[in-house]
Amino acid sequence: MAEAYLVVKDLYKSFHDNKAVNGISFTIAKGEIFGLLGPNGAGKTTTIRMLATVLPADSGEITIGGHSVRKEAGAVRSLIGVCPQELALYEDLSALENMVFFGRMAGLSGARAREQAMANLKMMGLSERAKGKVAKFSGGMKRRINLAIALMGEPKLLFLDEPTVGIDPQSRNNIYENIRGLQQNGMTILYTTHYMEEADRLCQRVAVMDGGQIISMDTPRNLKAQIGPPDQVTLEDVFLKLTGRSLRD
Amino acid sequence: MKRALYITLNEVRLYLQDKGDLAFSLLLPIVTFALMYGAFGGDTLFTATARVVDLDGGARAARLIEEIDAVDGISVELLTAAEADAKLERSDIQLALFIPAGFTQTLEAGGDVTLLFKQRGNGGQEGQILASIIRGVAEEMSQEFQAVRQVAANLAGTGISSESIRFTVEDLLAEERAAPVVGVAEEVVGGSVDFIGMYLPGIITMYVLFALALSAQTIVEERRRGTLERLLTTRLSAGELFFGKFLATTARGFLQTLILLALAYAVFQLFTPLSFLQALVITLIFAAAAAAIGMIIAALARTQAAANWTGVVFTMFSVMLGGTFFEVAQGSVLASVGKLSINTYANEALRSVVIGGGSLGDNVTPLLVLAGVVIVGLAISRVFFRAVPGGK
Repeated sequence: MAEAYLVVKDLYKSFHDNKAVNGISFTIAKGEIFGLLGPNGAGKTTTIRMLATVLPADSGEITIGGHSVRKEAGAVRSLIGVCPQELALYEDLSALENMVFFGRMAGLSGARAREQAMANLKMMGLSERAKGKVAKFSGGMKRRINLAIALMGEPKLLFLDEPTVGIDPQSRNNIYENIRGLQQNGMTILYTTHYMEEADRLCQRVAVMDGGQIISMDTPRNLKAQIGPPDQVTLEDVFLKLTGRSLRD
Repeated sequence: MKRALYITLNEVRLYLQDKGDLAFSLLLPIVTFALMYGAFGGDTLFTATARVVDLDGGARAARLIEEIDAVDGISVELLTAAEADAKLERSDIQLALFIPAGFTQTLEAGGDVTLLFKQRGNGGQEGQILASIIRGVAEEMSQEFQAVRQVAANLAGTGISSESIRFTVEDLLAEERAAPVVGVAEEVVGGSVDFIGMYLPGIITMYVLFALALSAQTIVEERRRGTLERLLTTRLSAGELFFGKFLATTARGFLQTLILLALAYAVFQLFTPLSFLQALVITLIFAAAAAAIGMIIAALARTQAAANWTGVVFTMFSVMLGGTFFEVAQGSVLASVGKLSINTYANEALRSVVIGGGSLGDNVTPLLVLAGVVIVGLAISRVFFRAVPGGK
């Protein structure tokens, strides 16, 4: 197995009596796309918040690129990019202004931020709308900008929290292609999604979380093989078998 | 620090993008100033127009009208009897003076005359003051005639012409008016009344507090947009984010008051160049103190409504307790409670500089209190600030 880029060991986080994350451990290899799946309230977003240095863990250890999240948060932040589940943009600013601003926050110079912003906008098929106000963009365009911003500062590890929610197939396909391109350039990606088919297509390995714990972790093919012939069952079948069919709110 | 400045610049950019907000925040001080100018910028003397109906048309009536018109603040509008009656009927005017026909002839013949005030009700407050002034003018004229008659009676049979007596008496009376035996002087207790100087500091500090209400929303707004959490995954520290927001709010509050102060400087000429700069320094420190308190509210508020209302309530109490629009009696309970309001210190320092001829050196204590509020406010807000519940 390739060198581990992200290592999570015995991670715990509670909010009052609710154990949001209950002793999870996993590693992500450098250049791997790792899927973190689970129903609503499974603890995925809390996990990403802890990995992204926003939320301190109650206990456990996280290292990213050899740096401890607890002790070297500054160094970790220079290695990561986060594409949050909700759009996190300044709608009154243009796409370019958003990108340059977050580029500056990522430590880039003004010229370098503009250069990277234009390159990322081109990659997302939005270079012609660079100066357009984000407020006037379609849902798919906003999603692509949301992802493009996460790439500012050329992070080594990208957290993608449901990056394709609520967009049309064309935009979704564009995002898939870009994620694959990023992986080919050596980027490590942690990907959460509710679309099982998406995880099956993109991820080398997936972990299924429920109740704050990882209840299964393997390649999509091996997970499918647990319940039947891999070519005849879907990851969604596996997911429902593991997490049950009761509704989660 | 560099990233804190980017946050400030971004806030400024967002502020400039919101045209409605921009227009409102820049035009409001100008509108307020115009209202202040309208209210206090003119002559503070009583001014009114005396409507006069001259049914006489003679020299004595003309002189009476001339003397009424010569009173400071009073102008005369001549009406016909029909016009005056119609205007009184429609309540267009409250009072009119009728000079009767034969006024000049009767006076010169040594007879008595009566002026008539026609009025609606009691003539209104302005009408009563006007009537009192006209009575004064009429009494002077009456005394002059009485003096001439008395002297003429006493000198009867001496061969001195009545014309000569009249001129002599009129000259003597004119001298007496110029240097009266019993004079009246005015002394304003507590110094001269300077409405602009009195209210301008309060209006300035009130504007700065508007900025406080806005800064209270700044973090909630960032959280609502989802950008707060994203920002905190970059190299930006929570401290830099806070400081950047604080600088932006301070700058915004200061910009609004700068407009007001500059207009006051240009139009009312309240300042010397030095006192203007001193007022700017006080305003800047006060804006920083208000922004720091706004950041505490921003750190604690979880919703836009909570931030908004807390900011508004705080602003209202600070303005009321800080002696913004009325003087708080020293030693009163209100004065003691008012020490909790940052406006108290800012108003004290600004009034000292604007109307008291004071300097920054004379206001070290209020300025130190405000600077202390900045430091403590930023420290408290940073302690309470959490990007996500249970987070940093």
